[in-house]
Amino acid sequence: MRFKKRSRSRETLLRLAAYGTILVALILTLFPVYWIAANSFKFDIDIFAVPPEWVPRNPTLKHYEQAFIERPFLRYALNSFLVAVGTTAIAVIFGTMAGYALARFTYPWQWRKHVSFWILSTRMMPPIVSIIPLYLFFNYFDMLNTKAALIIAYTAFNLPFATWMMKSYFQDLPVELEEAAIVDGDTRWGAFLHVALPLARPGLAATAIFCLIISWNEFLLALVITLTEQSQTLPIGIAGRVTQYTTYWGEISAAGFMACVPIVIFAFIVQKHLVRGLSLGAVKG
Amino acid sequence: MKGTSAAPLEIGGWFEQWAERRLRYLMLAPAVLILLALTIFPSLYMFYAAVHRISPNPDLPWQFVGAANFTRLLSDGQFQVALRNTAIFTVVAVSVEFLFGLGLALLLDKYIRRLTFLKTVLMVPMMLPPIAVAITWKLIYEPQFGVLNEIMFRLGLPTQAWAGDVDLAMFSIIVADVWQWTPFIFLLMLAGLASLPIEPYEAAELDGASSWRQFWDLTIPFLKPVIAIALLLRVMDALRLFDLVFILTGGGPADRTKVLSLYIYQVAYRFADPGYAAAISLFVLLVTIVLSTWFMKRMRLVE
Repeated sequence: MRFKKRSRSRETLLRLAAYGTILVALILTLFPVYWIAANSFKFDIDIFAVPPEWVPRNPTLKHYEQAFIERPFLRYALNSFLVAVGTTAIAVIFGTMAGYALARFTYPWQWRKHVSFWILSTRMMPPIVSIIPLYLFFNYFDMLNTKAALIIAYTAFNLPFATWMMKSYFQDLPVELEEAAIVDGDTRWGAFLHVALPLARPGLAATAIFCLIISWNEFLLALVITLTEQSQTLPIGIAGRVTQYTTYWGEISAAGFMACVPIVIFAFIVQKHLVRGLSLGAVKG
Repeated sequence: MKGTSAAPLEIGGWFEQWAERRLRYLMLAPAVLILLALTIFPSLYMFYAAVHRISPNPDLPWQFVGAANFTRLLSDGQFQVALRNTAIFTVVAVSVEFLFGLGLALLLDKYIRRLTFLKTVLMVPMMLPPIAVAITWKLIYEPQFGVLNEIMFRLGLPTQAWAGDVDLAMFSIIVADVWQWTPFIFLLMLAGLASLPIEPYEAAELDGASSWRQFWDLTIPFLKPVIAIALLLRVMDALRLFDLVFILTGGGPADRTKVLSLYIYQVAYRFADPGYAAAISLFVLLVTIVLSTWFMKRMRLVE
């Protein structure tokens, strides 16, 4: 397809169509993000304006003050951050070891295949399925409404993710370097620690960032496990301001936009690893 | 790729030597044990919960009811509605995302490959917190002062209640989901297209095959593994839809957007019947396992 000799005018037309499509896609992608940002800087009266005010005429930080100073959104953000870091640490440490083992070692009875498959299938488990047992379990151990409970719950999907990602990165590394280190007298564990791990550092960083994003965004499990601002995360805080009677548009716009900012920064940091990260290591981009 | 098993063992004490010999198991064990605890245990516990009537009062004992919760599934109209809504959402949303994503990727393959920055901008929606996406679309759909009705008005079309309208609610959920997840398909397809080999196309060109023929006979077969993983992940995600519905419609109006996740949540917490919720969860788990296993085996995603 790519090598078809086309007439010049047809080529130009195609190029124009492609650029036009990119432009439309960019507008459709960015407008909603712009819109929530724009509304977060408007006074309430301007949010309700008809026709809508496309650019805030009287920009204000009032809603940011309301959300992050008067209401506990800073607390929610901190909870989100602590939970995300906790589960990411667990997932990356154990996932890296398991991923390495599955990429490098041989096991009897096709264990490698079966264990890989089983770990992948745990990633497919819908969270709604585990909320009942997790809720009853945390209730029994008096752990409801704690950040530790969230960290444990999130590890259930972050750990399989980290394992598959790291397995995929290690499989791409040449095994010869580790073999050379072992010939030079290093142990198998030493070869992993001193040779493979430093080489996999970009993969390690990407995996960690993906775990952070997934945890930062999670809603359903947090909704069930947390009860008060002591452990509630940012998405829960936002959803709590959408009530049956009224929606605090300005406040949730400000908090929602702030919840997006770190994610966008992270997206740009991991842009080279996006494809692999989003496909659990199955597609190398 | 296959591991090197033998390692010199002259250094270290007996513990180091033992650890070194058992390394392949020791490195795998923590992850496997944690995942066993986090998946097998809850699944078993759920079986146990599913055959009991659980009172909201924690001091009352669980009452064994046998298969009652499962037989209830068969006659529960709400459950059937939720099942139908989930199926509609999954099929429509994933198909639209797939067609848009693949179409865009084919059109832009030639022009966008090196533009990493532009690609990343297009990727932003799917990384955002679903709750933030949900409130953004809630703002856009707002019947009185929302942007969408303003656009309808300017185009001379009738304004709508969107997420609040019986006939448009599911459509509104799907649009928001398509906005967030089309980039995912697009990105994966673009990666797949970039890795296509050149030679078969040159050969086809010499044989005078049309672009259309080349697309069906070369591009699609080469892309098949990437398409498989993209669809698998999207379907699994669509089956667990919750956040968008929770914020945009709450399952309404008239249960038109009540999906399985939301129904389980309502049964467990609003109707305070965790036993029955566990039974529904088991059903969802079964569907997920059957679907994903069939898919992964069929597409040979694992070795």
